[in-house]
Amino acid sequence: MVHSGSQTTRRAAIVGAALLFSASAIAGALAAEPVTLHAIFLPATWGTVVKDTLAPQYERETGVKIDVQLIGRDAIHEKMATLFAAEDSSFDIFNLDYNWIPEFAGGGHLVQMDDVLSTEDKADFFPLALRVASYGGKLYGVPQTVHPHLLWYRSDIYNDPATKEAYKAASGHDLAPPKTMDEWLEQSKFLNGRTYGGQKVAAWAAQAAKGYGNVHTWYSFFSTYGGKAFNDDFTKSTIDTPDGVAATKVWAEMSKLMPVGAVSYTYDDVTTAAQQGVVATAMQWSWGAFAVDDPKTSRTVGKWEFAQVPSVKAGEPSHPHLAEWVISVSKYSKQAAEAKKFVAWLETKKNDVVQASLGGGDPVRLSSYSDPKLTEEKLAGTDVKRFRRYSEVIIAMKNASPRPLFEGEERWETTITTPLQAVQLGQSTPEEGVKAADKAEDAALQR
Amino acid sequence: MSSTTIPKARRGSGSPLNRVIRRYGWLVPMIPGMAFLIAISVYPTLYSLNASFYRWNLAASARRSLTGFRNYELLLSDPSFWHSVVVTLVYVAFVVALELTIGLVLALLFFRRFPSDHFLRALLILPMVVAPVVVGLLWRYMLNPRFGIVSYLMSLVGLPRVDFLGDPALALPTLIVIDVWQWTPFTFLILLAALQGVPEDVIEAARIDGARSMRILFDHILPMIRYPVAVALVLRLLDAFRVYDIIYMTTRGGPIDATQTLSWQIYDLGFKSFDIGYAAAYSWLMLILVVAISTVALAILFRKTDFA
Repeated sequence: MVHSGSQTTRRAAIVGAALLFSASAIAGALAAEPVTLHAIFLPATWGTVVKDTLAPQYERETGVKIDVQLIGRDAIHEKMATLFAAEDSSFDIFNLDYNWIPEFAGGGHLVQMDDVLSTEDKADFFPLALRVASYGGKLYGVPQTVHPHLLWYRSDIYNDPATKEAYKAASGHDLAPPKTMDEWLEQSKFLNGRTYGGQKVAAWAAQAAKGYGNVHTWYSFFSTYGGKAFNDDFTKSTIDTPDGVAATKVWAEMSKLMPVGAVSYTYDDVTTAAQQGVVATAMQWSWGAFAVDDPKTSRTVGKWEFAQVPSVKAGEPSHPHLAEWVISVSKYSKQAAEAKKFVAWLETKKNDVVQASLGGGDPVRLSSYSDPKLTEEKLAGTDVKRFRRYSEVIIAMKNASPRPLFEGEERWETTITTPLQAVQLGQSTPEEGVKAADKAEDAALQR
Repeated sequence: MSSTTIPKARRGSGSPLNRVIRRYGWLVPMIPGMAFLIAISVYPTLYSLNASFYRWNLAASARRSLTGFRNYELLLSDPSFWHSVVVTLVYVAFVVALELTIGLVLALLFFRRFPSDHFLRALLILPMVVAPVVVGLLWRYMLNPRFGIVSYLMSLVGLPRVDFLGDPALALPTLIVIDVWQWTPFTFLILLAALQGVPEDVIEAARIDGARSMRILFDHILPMIRYPVAVALVLRLLDAFRVYDIIYMTTRGGPIDATQTLSWQIYDLGFKSFDIGYAAAYSWLMLILVVAISTVALAILFRKTDFA
């Protein structure tokens, strides 16, 4: 049966109209789909501030939803490696510990972020903060928070007249925040076991647990004594040097003056010890001060003051270990451009101050350290400044020592933690310990 | 009378397709299960074997290179590997022996009814239903030398505070205690069920013959429950080799390397250092060890005389 031309034309017009209608409906539906970015942040204060406050604010301002998951440090590291190995685009944005930048940027998994910050912006960031977030001269993460090691000391103990008198009588020196490692060791031996407010105190606390804990604490001593962990091309471990041995000796000696059970101390345990007032000093990340000034959980609100990690010789700077968290974008993200916009927004001048004021870590921009919103804020009901540590953070950021910036850094920490703990527990001498650390790391490099 | 009998179907008759279906059709329902097993078990196992022949960092997979048996050579000459083997064997030997022994003693105690036995039995098996991660966290806090309940109770009787998890000499025994606390109820249940299957008349007959309790236990009861004991032994053996959760929540392989078991090393290498090839080789050596030990244990339990 032959159809007439008009019938064919009518059928074609109906089909064409139906197709056009369907296409525009689909396009309309897609266009209406809101953009959602998926991000992983550390469940530290800077992660919760993003999840609870800044991400919802960004959504209100731009309509772009940010789905933030808070995951522990080790879990972030594992998740990034497995997602990147599968070239998985489930997550767009990651919060990284800066020592992972060489590993993941070197593996080609991160998007370059140089265009996220203007030249003016870059000049406002701590130079060291940008350097450690870079690999091969390119920026792969925007710094979110910096926290170098500081020496924390109890102002109530150091200003106690009876303690000052007793110390002077015992040592011939005035009790003041120690400037050198020798002073700190002498003060620690004196303060260890004394009682204040009915509480016996240990000399100090710091992270000491097996894993990155004891390595991070040891590293402040190691760097301050001039130690260098590797040769220039990271093919040979160079911990076993006179500087390395000297640093490890002092660290081992100081480790004996920590509270019972401190060999298992994580960051949280050090914080608890400081909050409970069971230590006279501590070596801890600068941002940890938020916790000890929290009246809900701390017995030592306003009693902690901050100074530089002691140096080797008076008048010389120390080289405290640097900690920093950055924000990176996955190369496999299907919304990299939107992700970069969010990261840029998070680290504007305004939001750097907002994050700090909400307790989200120490700022990464120099200008934030003179913002009156932060510098004039006082602890509720006291005359004690909330951000009294900032002058010390600025100094520390000039001299801080970053971890060895190479692709195997996380593995390096896992490798040397065991021989270092043997030194902590007196099963090896410092000389044996640094030798064993070099041997273990050289074997790992060969693999 | 016409003959219209229907001829009997002969084997092999019918179309080729029908013959195939009759011969192999019983396999068809098994295909989904086999496919699932291959996907989640066989394929990953073979993949891991393949990975063990590579120098492979997970964060830089594009740069992996085939190195043959190099990972195995490095492992077998690595002192920390042999140390992990020793730590694991000590751990497994003690937990299995203690859990079987204590489980048997408890099963014998509960063998005969007594007042409140059901309630006590329920209490006994409670540790088993708690997730291992929670158990690890619980014990970490209980054993904390500053504020843990164990230290507190020790101080009440004049004993000094002890860092059980931070002392290299005490950490592994402490983990053994934790494991025994959690998993003895498991062996207890298996052995109790086994005991309840022992015929009463056998025990009665032995008693009439003048046999004492210990003789009845060793000569009559234990031989009769050998198979359930073997089941409990193998299950606990395999589980003990895999110990990880408790170590993660308490010692992280420390202090120093006191609790650095094979499974902990595999985690450390595979998921902290991303050294996939080396971790895979570790896994295969551990598998060989587990299979060898299980085989020996079962061979001892089921001696030739059992089948004479």
